[in-house]
Amino acid sequence: MISRRRVLGRYWLAIILVASCAHALRAQEPPQPRVTIGFIDIEDDPRHEPIRAYERMILKTREHPFVGAKVAIDEAQALSRALKIDFALERLTVKSEAALVPAVTQARESRGIQFFVVDASAEAFRPLVEAVREHDVLLFNATAPDDWLRRELCSREIVHTLPSLAMTMDGLVQHLVSRKWRDILVLQGPAAADAAMTKAFDASVKKFGARIVAKRDFKPGTDPREREKNNPLLLTALNRDYDVIFIADDAFDFARQLPYQTQRARPVVGAIDLEPVAWHWTWERHGAPQLNSRFQRASNGRRMDSQDWASWIAVKMVVQAALRTGSADFAKQREFILGGNGFDGYKGLAVSVRPWDQQLRQAVFLATPNAVIASAPIDGFLHRTNTLDTLGDDEQETPCKLKR
Amino acid sequence: MIIGRPSLIFAFVAAVLAVVPAAAKNTGLIFVSNEKSNNVLVLDPKTFKVVKDIKTAKRPRDMHFNADRTRLYVACGNDDAIDVIDVAKLEVIGRLKTGSSPETFAIDDARRRIYVANEETSTVAVIDIEANKIVQDIKTGDEPEGVHLSDDGKTLYVTSEVGNLVHQIDTEAGRVTKDVIVGTRPRRFAATPDGRELWVTAELAGEVTIIDRAKFAVAGKIEFLPPGMRKSDVTPVGVAMTRDGKTAFVTLGHAAHVAVVDVAARKVEGYILVGKRPWGVTLARDDRTLFVANGLGDDVTIIDVRSRKATQSIPVGRVPWGIVIDD
Repeated sequence: MISRRRVLGRYWLAIILVASCAHALRAQEPPQPRVTIGFIDIEDDPRHEPIRAYERMILKTREHPFVGAKVAIDEAQALSRALKIDFALERLTVKSEAALVPAVTQARESRGIQFFVVDASAEAFRPLVEAVREHDVLLFNATAPDDWLRRELCSREIVHTLPSLAMTMDGLVQHLVSRKWRDILVLQGPAAADAAMTKAFDASVKKFGARIVAKRDFKPGTDPREREKNNPLLLTALNRDYDVIFIADDAFDFARQLPYQTQRARPVVGAIDLEPVAWHWTWERHGAPQLNSRFQRASNGRRMDSQDWASWIAVKMVVQAALRTGSADFAKQREFILGGNGFDGYKGLAVSVRPWDQQLRQAVFLATPNAVIASAPIDGFLHRTNTLDTLGDDEQETPCKLKR
Repeated sequence: MIIGRPSLIFAFVAAVLAVVPAAAKNTGLIFVSNEKSNNVLVLDPKTFKVVKDIKTAKRPRDMHFNADRTRLYVACGNDDAIDVIDVAKLEVIGRLKTGSSPETFAIDDARRRIYVANEETSTVAVIDIEANKIVQDIKTGDEPEGVHLSDDGKTLYVTSEVGNLVHQIDTEAGRVTKDVIVGTRPRRFAATPDGRELWVTAELAGEVTIIDRAKFAVAGKIEFLPPGMRKSDVTPVGVAMTRDGKTAFVTLGHAAHVAVVDVAARKVEGYILVGKRPWGVTLARDDRTLFVANGLGDDVTIIDVRSRKATQSIPVGRVPWGIVIDD
């Protein structure tokens, strides 16, 4: 036992020597400054549980969007040579929502990480924002579409790279109005997310001059006593005609069985068939095919979705800020990101951060499973400064006033 | 034109290459590559009528002649190939293998080499034309696009759209020797005839970045804004320069205009309205006619250079990419 310990002792000494030699060698070339971006997510996050019809029949996989961030950091590698700044990505997976704050604090204090892509619910941002305030940290919200997070929490510490519900619903209604499909039947599911989506849709309908001819709550099930709420034929039977059916159904199981089961031959939009999204695997303009194929290679064939895009662009923004300021300094980079500068989001018009609520203004795709039918803002929806601000909360439409 | 056995392809290409090259005939024929209809349309130089529809491998994009213009090479992105068209016969007579998704390329006729940017694999492949073989892959930043070869064949310039970089590559050593940071999403090149400057379109920055070739550093930029447009609508991609080096034409993509630029003064002189999403742009050898491919309009706009007016637009295939002229 003694001899073994001695051997081990020598071994450690050798490691220290090798390490210090390597250090001495590197010392001749000053080390490049490094910008590390943290990607934080939660193990067994229910938001990422697959949606199943039955045990082995998966309808939506709902993966964590880490690969999006990974692709962006890989893209930065060629640049790091010219810029003489290294870029790194560190994934922090915690056990519960409560562990987010300690993990972020520890990463900041011990490893100097100041940018975090956050894959967590809107609720998780309340304690996070409190914890990082006054600490030179910028959080990127890549997965929570909730409008209240932008309007009521309204925090300087967050940049929202995922479009808000208000933005996606505005994009959808712009398309319906441009088709002159103005009369809409609304079907709302029982989940809180369905209520939030319907509320946002309702606001968009008012904003762009469409009409809700009826709103009905559905309740998935087969109980004949509740057939008015669970039978697609009865739910869509209406004396008044309508052009299109909007359905809010986060659980998805009811929505997937609605098209072609309706009383009238009308298209279904919202949770199925025509969905407003931040990204789609079929988008074929603005360099998107190359991004989609890089993503597929990095993820073993998965198709890039909205949350993946929102994680990707978050990392891109940090890299771009370092590039354009020529600096690894956090304050300069944050200033660049929040300063209204345009970023290449691979969806046409440059994306940029709105100063009033720090939402990333961006195009919204209206996508069917196999094609992007339109990209909002739809032609003809005008704005005095930037047509992207026809989507979501414009400066005067939100209580959030972060503009400095 | 799909040949199953590799040995057959080799024999075929070898036979084709063994033919003694004929001299250029200056037919004036106009070749338009169409990404989505998988063909190169050949237009009559006077009537602009289609004289031949040449089927190619999938997604034909960039095209270049060899030195005596007996062969036209066409990069076909979805089939990972460069098709070889016999200019006299107007048919595909061979196929070179490339890396994944070739877009633009340059030919070094003296060394019998092709340098092709493969946007999917982030490399420039060096192809030995005789052997029909990739002899080297040079690593670039992501999404390499524009390629420009110096007249002496020693230096290759390549844009990386994702990296916002232009690489300077030593073709003998086969490696990147220098990088320069340019405007966001650099796309394509034009070189001033005096060899001093390299113009690079930066699509998302809405500008042309000018590179001093001797210093390999940014020497200036030109911004564009057609009347009534917003900066965000301006997405420059294609650029062509007159042979005297006095005037440049830059296609502005989403803004549906071509900018006319005084090269020496680095000043925009005017804008010409063209079709939807113009990218590819080519001048006739006499510098009197400009051809613009409108990618999302499936047509080509013809511009009279002296009056700076669009005179005609002609329907072509689906998503026209580029135009070359046998003059």
